[in-house]
Amino acid sequence: MFTKEELSRYNGKEGAPAYVAYNGKVYDVTGSFHWKGGKHHVLHDAGQDLTESIGRAPHTAELLEKFPVVGVLRG
Amino acid sequence: MERTGINVDQLVELLVKNAAAELTTYYYYTILRVNLIGLQGEGIKEIAETARIEDRNHFEALVPRIYELGGKLPGNMKDFHDISACPPASLPEDPTDIKAMLTVLVEAERCAVRGYTHICNLTAGKDHRTYDLAQAILNEEIEHESWFSEFLGEGPSGHYLRRGETSPFVSKFLK
Repeated sequence: MFTKEELSRYNGKEGAPAYVAYNGKVYDVTGSFHWKGGKHHVLHDAGQDLTESIGRAPHTAELLEKFPVVGVLRG
Repeated sequence: MERTGINVDQLVELLVKNAAAELTTYYYYTILRVNLIGLQGEGIKEIAETARIEDRNHFEALVPRIYELGGKLPGNMKDFHDISACPPASLPEDPTDIKAMLTVLVEAERCAVRGYTHICNLTAGKDHRTYDLAQAILNEEIEHESWFSEFLGEGPSGHYLRRGETSPFVSKFLK
């Protein structure tokens, strides 16, 4: 279980793992090329809830589903 | 341009990263083309060659816009390679494994399609010149993706091979 504040520590910077939340689930995207350095295509940071921004992305949430779920985001 | 709501620094970074992806893909297509031999390989050589030249064209078309917007390219090829918007491709361990090669290619093209869709979404109605360029590149990337997808047997694409010149959409930026 992650709070938003806890999630923000997993920002992929300075050796921290890169986690992102979507629809209440927290995914570990650390190993993804597209999240290198905790940044995703310049505009998005790891450690955030992406539920709203995925609606504007050029892909669906399906791409996230291949990453391991490491927890849930608390309300 | 920032008055339209576009963050120019972010846009330039996206353009540079996508230019890096184009040039690294051009390199990959070049080594790939060398290895496309035999009955299966020869069948793909024509579209691989078209995609190779067009990806180089995309790189060349992006560069002027990057500088127009106040950006610049990294000072060396390694730095440029390392900031690519898409995973740099590499030959499969078995260079005669045509299906593995096609899978690498189709994934690279899909990454490019997402990248230019993203740039189009950011610039639509705000930065007409970048939008026009990104949309032209997007049209060609969609065709590349469809060619390789069709070769993988994912379904008929309904697209035709090039007739005549390469880059029917992007060539206007190269004149």
